[in-house]
Amino acid sequence: MIFLFIIVPLVMASLLPLLGKFSKRFLPDLLANATMLFLLVYAVISAKPLIANGGVIQQAFWFGAPLNIRLLLDGFSLFMLFTISLVSFAVTVYSINYMEHYGAKANYYALLLLMIAGMNGLVLASDLFNIYLFLEVAAVASYALVAFGRGHDELEASFKYLMLSAVASAFILLSIAVIFALTGGVSFGTVAHGLETLNVRFVVGFCSGLFLMGFGLKAALVPFHSWLPDAHPSAPAPISAMLSGLLIKVSGVYAMMRVFLNVFGLTPALTTVLAVLGIASIFVGALAALGQNDIKRMLAYSSISQIGYVVLGLGIGTPLGILGGLFHLFNHALFKSLLFLNAGAIEQSTGTRSLDKMGGLARVMPVTAATSAVASLSIAGVPPLNGFWSKLLIIIALVQAKMVLLAVLAVLGSVVTLWYYLVLQHQAFFGKLNEAWKSVKEAPFWMSVSTVLLALLCIVVGLAFPFVIHSWLQPAADILGKGVSVAMGFIGF
Amino acid sequence: MLHLLLLIGLVAFSILAILIRDLLKSAISLAVASVFLAVLFFEMNAVYAGVFEVSVVAGLITVLFITAIALTRSDVDVVESRSHLIVFPLFFLVLAVIDILVMKRLLGRIPAMVNPESGTFAEVLWNQRTFDLVGQIGVIFAGVLSVLALFRPGEKDPGHESPTGDAALTGRQPRGGSHE
Repeated sequence: MIFLFIIVPLVMASLLPLLGKFSKRFLPDLLANATMLFLLVYAVISAKPLIANGGVIQQAFWFGAPLNIRLLLDGFSLFMLFTISLVSFAVTVYSINYMEHYGAKANYYALLLLMIAGMNGLVLASDLFNIYLFLEVAAVASYALVAFGRGHDELEASFKYLMLSAVASAFILLSIAVIFALTGGVSFGTVAHGLETLNVRFVVGFCSGLFLMGFGLKAALVPFHSWLPDAHPSAPAPISAMLSGLLIKVSGVYAMMRVFLNVFGLTPALTTVLAVLGIASIFVGALAALGQNDIKRMLAYSSISQIGYVVLGLGIGTPLGILGGLFHLFNHALFKSLLFLNAGAIEQSTGTRSLDKMGGLARVMPVTAATSAVASLSIAGVPPLNGFWSKLLIIIALVQAKMVLLAVLAVLGSVVTLWYYLVLQHQAFFGKLNEAWKSVKEAPFWMSVSTVLLALLCIVVGLAFPFVIHSWLQPAADILGKGVSVAMGFIGF
Repeated sequence: MLHLLLLIGLVAFSILAILIRDLLKSAISLAVASVFLAVLFFEMNAVYAGVFEVSVVAGLITVLFITAIALTRSDVDVVESRSHLIVFPLFFLVLAVIDILVMKRLLGRIPAMVNPESGTFAEVLWNQRTFDLVGQIGVIFAGVLSVLALFRPGEKDPGHESPTGDAALTGRQPRGGSHE
């Protein structure tokens, strides 16, 4: 029953603050990790067979009685559920040690699980208004999580994030209202069918513009990116990993692509807009990252750049482009989460995020240094790691689509990425060990377990990429490649 | 004509709520804007939306705002900004011009609603939009947990250690140090 993906984290989130009264650390740690492990295993074992014959619309039941809740599970939503569960599990494992000194661990896990419930609800939604609502669940939880440390910077970043996110939500809601007025419904099938029969290209263009601004703000696409470099570095490290690794992809990229490709249908004009925004994001993010001294801020700008690759791949709409975009989305979830978790380990051990003050940390933090090197090389697209294959697929897809200039620019963007990640590695881990860090110790056990797990995944996915593509990515790419016929197939549900 | 007046009142008081620096007056402006919106809802036969707008937004939330302001307010007189008094009406004017030039034509292109999902309020809420209720529970719950998490007692604000904002880079306690 795929409703469990939403209801289990929701119920656990409601229990944790109560259980936290009896056990401040052990029970919250255990239950949050058990929940995420369950969701991960459930996605692999139980949900995977359901998409064997394409997508399903599953009705939810409550104690045997049918509810009017219909959830859409297809290759694309399952791929996102799997990615969410995998990264969230690594984050909860990491949080066991990292969140010790923040206090209120039960409340932290409760908010984290609510954010996960919101993201799961969003990817299983079969209508536009459900997408909006679950996007808000994840967003409200994320505002509090960004401000969880309650310092001046955290609160300021959270407020800025809240304000811009509210603007994004207003655009999305306005677009949904116009579509409802047009088609008389909000379910994917009704909207896709209604728009096709009405032939109202001008209004669809207007709604696409609103969605582009709304979901573009959530995804931090250039020029809607200004909130991200404040919000992501200010949050506690596991939350930075969740935001950069997952939330911008789920509430931004997933929602945008589901609507544009499966409900509206991709038009040449939209392809051009998405490709231009993608390339702009790649360069603005990469060049801004080059000039950063704060390690987490550098990673945040890098997220803007990498989201550009994802949108570029998906936006061109060819089967290979979609495959490359989705693969890069998955890879970025792995290595950017890993990099943020490593940045958190460094910050916790040294008390600084300033790259100038680091240096030689590889001697005292070998695990953090090694896993960080794997992530940096992956994100820069060095073979045979996972980031190389996804960028290669996107670039080949661009060449095949006769967008050679964009392909050259994408390669150049990757060179700049390699440049600033080498700077990061050099300044943080290599060179002479700063005297102040001689007594610094490696990250605690569970933090290291989490980062090693993600680093291993980067290597394994890179080496076994044909298997990953065949088992997880191709079903998702097929769904996006089918366009509006997917939504049409669900009319009447 | 009545709709137009209500809309002008709604936008004017919304802008006033942003313009005014005095929090109490700002909260009251927001409540008045909300009343205009509620009357609009009633006028357009969205009775339930009107009731919720009046009772929750204009009523309950305003009471909460005013209580919070009364509990935290200092006696210092707030000096209202003059630049905002020019910028916001100008912004409003530009929006109005865009609205008149573009929106009417745009709305004219939207055909009449086709087979709207309809029914009584209870039918729509409980039977047709059940999944939305789960989402609403999630949003309310997230709000409650946010308040619990952000107003938790007994911790020092690390940002206060460095008023220059440099705390993010340097002011963190290394491992072994504690925020408590």
